[in-house]
Amino acid sequence: MKRRTFLAAVTLAAFAFAGCMPAMAQDIDVNAILHDPDAPEAGNPEGDVTIVAFLDYNCPFCKKSAPDLDRIVKEDGNIRLVYKDWPVLSEASVYGAQLALAASYQDKYEEVHHALMAVPGHKVTEERMLDAVHATDVDMQQLQNDVTGHHAEIAALLGRTMEQGDALGLVSTPTYLIGPMMTTTLDYDGFKETVAEARRRHAAGERVE
Amino acid sequence: MIRFLFSFSTVVLLLVGLSSASFAQMPPPADEVFRLQASRDGSGVVTLDWTIAPGTYLYRDSLKASDGGVPVSLALPDGVEKDDPNFGHVEVYHNHVEVALPQELGTDMLTVHYQGCAEQGICYPPAEKTIDLASLSISGSGNRLSAAAAPSSPWQTASPARPAALDTGIAETGPGETDTAESYLNGNVFWMTAGFLGFGLLLALTPCVFPLIPILSATLAGAGAKLSAGRGFFLSLSYVLAMATAYGLVGLVAGLSGANLQAALQSPWVLGLSAAVFVTLALGMFGLFELQLPSALASRLAGRGRGGSVAGAAVLGFGSALIVGPCVTPPLAAAMLYAINTGEAAKGAVALFALGLGMGLPLIAFGTFGARILPKSGPWLVAIRQAFGVVFLGVAVMLVARLLPPPAALALWGATAIGLAVFAGAFDRLSARSGWGKRAAKAGGLVAFIAGAVMLVGAAAGEGDPLRPLAFLAGTPVPQHQVAETQVTSLVAFDEALAGSRQTPVLVSFTADWCTICKSNEKIMAEPAIAARLQDVAMITVDVTRQNSEARAMMDRFSVVGPPTLFLVDRDGREVGNSRITGAITPETIAQNLSRAGA
Repeated sequence: MKRRTFLAAVTLAAFAFAGCMPAMAQDIDVNAILHDPDAPEAGNPEGDVTIVAFLDYNCPFCKKSAPDLDRIVKEDGNIRLVYKDWPVLSEASVYGAQLALAASYQDKYEEVHHALMAVPGHKVTEERMLDAVHATDVDMQQLQNDVTGHHAEIAALLGRTMEQGDALGLVSTPTYLIGPMMTTTLDYDGFKETVAEARRRHAAGERVE
Repeated sequence: MIRFLFSFSTVVLLLVGLSSASFAQMPPPADEVFRLQASRDGSGVVTLDWTIAPGTYLYRDSLKASDGGVPVSLALPDGVEKDDPNFGHVEVYHNHVEVALPQELGTDMLTVHYQGCAEQGICYPPAEKTIDLASLSISGSGNRLSAAAAPSSPWQTASPARPAALDTGIAETGPGETDTAESYLNGNVFWMTAGFLGFGLLLALTPCVFPLIPILSATLAGAGAKLSAGRGFFLSLSYVLAMATAYGLVGLVAGLSGANLQAALQSPWVLGLSAAVFVTLALGMFGLFELQLPSALASRLAGRGRGGSVAGAAVLGFGSALIVGPCVTPPLAAAMLYAINTGEAAKGAVALFALGLGMGLPLIAFGTFGARILPKSGPWLVAIRQAFGVVFLGVAVMLVARLLPPPAALALWGATAIGLAVFAGAFDRLSARSGWGKRAAKAGGLVAFIAGAVMLVGAAAGEGDPLRPLAFLAGTPVPQHQVAETQVTSLVAFDEALAGSRQTPVLVSFTADWCTICKSNEKIMAEPAIAARLQDVAMITVDVTRQNSEARAMMDRFSVVGPPTLFLVDRDGREVGNSRITGAITPETIAQNLSRAGA
């Protein structure tokens, strides 16, 4: 009896050890978040600070902070901006993201992105999104072809972004990764301050890449 | 294939370190901000009640209820008007909102949607909750799982929840135990417990539970002389309660941490260690060594009286649950994933405890009434213990076999059988005076030797089935998989495979190396009749052996509780209604499914 008890205790110890394993299986693919070859980029490709923007085309706060984000990227001149279309708020958001990403095949992602971000509200329908895209100088026939022809790549990119959002534990839109920091809606001053802080931290050796 | 490798990114994370502190306050998860409760007043009217955290609000027009897809109209109170250039004109609720449900609802389960934002500048994805109008319990089912975020994000402020997902267009799951399990979980606690007790009893009839019988018998045999029925009852009760507690703990941990402990218990490490422990137990049974505990500890563990140790039985029961339990059991997986999904740890724990108890009830009966048949002492007891040692060895081989390619596993079985043959005296000399016991042992040993030798031959010929090691001699050509099968381990690869397949529908099969039922399913699908049907069907095999975020993402996407799960998807990745099979398949069920889908 004693021997069995002892052996059973050994079994338990083994399982206690095994209990530590799931934590190690989690992973965040930093490289994929920062350098997905299919994710549209803006700003300075060689910039010393990278902003990764997780955005949804039915997210009013994304729209609110969009002009400030554009301004800081432009004025600073040394920021690389990575757009992550992360359509989590509505069905129409997915549609919008597909349009924008399809436009990148004619190098018009930013135009479509800005057009969609300029439509106010949290309940923008697919029709209104399409109207907004019509108003840009995107070749609609080409866009239609790319939506169908690159359906799989676009779906894969959106899937990757969803997974990255999940891995990062994101709960809401917008989310911005700025250097080693994660933040939400900021105004121009907020962006400016955070970028400056990111540079300070980079100088201190704290870098995510 | 076994993968010990951790991804490169994990290494990067370790290098990056955990030092970076939060710069901006990140928002709490939606369920902490918007709390939904349901209550019933004296006249039977059910009221939904949202508590809305300061600084956040719900959109009035986002509050919706439906009953099986049919909208239920809600009498929504007026909200506060909010006019913002970015929002347009919207009505919102702050702090608190109450909505009385219409009295005549033809349903017990109401689905409620709502969505809101925080003034801080963020919006939450829509939440979907299911309310059981009988018990008024609320669950988050229908959402994707809230898997925990990676523990150490280099961007420091990650919080442990995920956004509710979009409607993925996944059809209702088809028939199978899983559905039943899940619907029990959504009901009230009494029926849920009763249901899981029942599932446990059913599981007790499956081979998964058989190895528990010798383990318990060994415990009882160890109790030695004077093992009364009462003593047998207490020993087996403590064994079973401990086993049920182990399951309950798995449910609790799953609910609290969001981690799928079940899958972790199927990792090569755990299987290997358990096998080692069983080998050690077996050697002990053969009397190769005697382990002695320090006397203080031993006296504490040994329990009162001479009739065996209750605590020892409990410890062994606890261990047995973890070792034997992970046979693929859909209700177990369903209960665990439910606990993970809703975070209702207590409910998950109770469900799994009941499941374990149900599995153990026949064992208690066995321990109580079977105790009398066990020998009290003498050489018989030695023989019985040696027999249990053999069984323990078998359990160890069974565990290790899950990790090995089938021919290697068959070879291991063969080697074990030959070892057994030698120890049983297959090659001992008999004399004219040898008793019938010795002769019987020799006969058994020789049979074991021949069986072992045949298995080794079969293994050398590439066979993997211990019951048909010489199938290659039967002349039946080993059915080749004509199916255009693509193996994927990530959503990206899945989408690519789906986009790349010309044929539709596509058969999606969730499988894992440790999943024994998956292996038998594969055999059934390789049968000529089925293989011919499958020839024109593209097949994507989703390997979830490693329970990482990729595997979870794929399981979330299709609401898969665990392997084996098979279903058909159309070109857009939508599940074909009624095409799902969870658990073991038969040639009939798979053929029916294919016909229904027109494949």
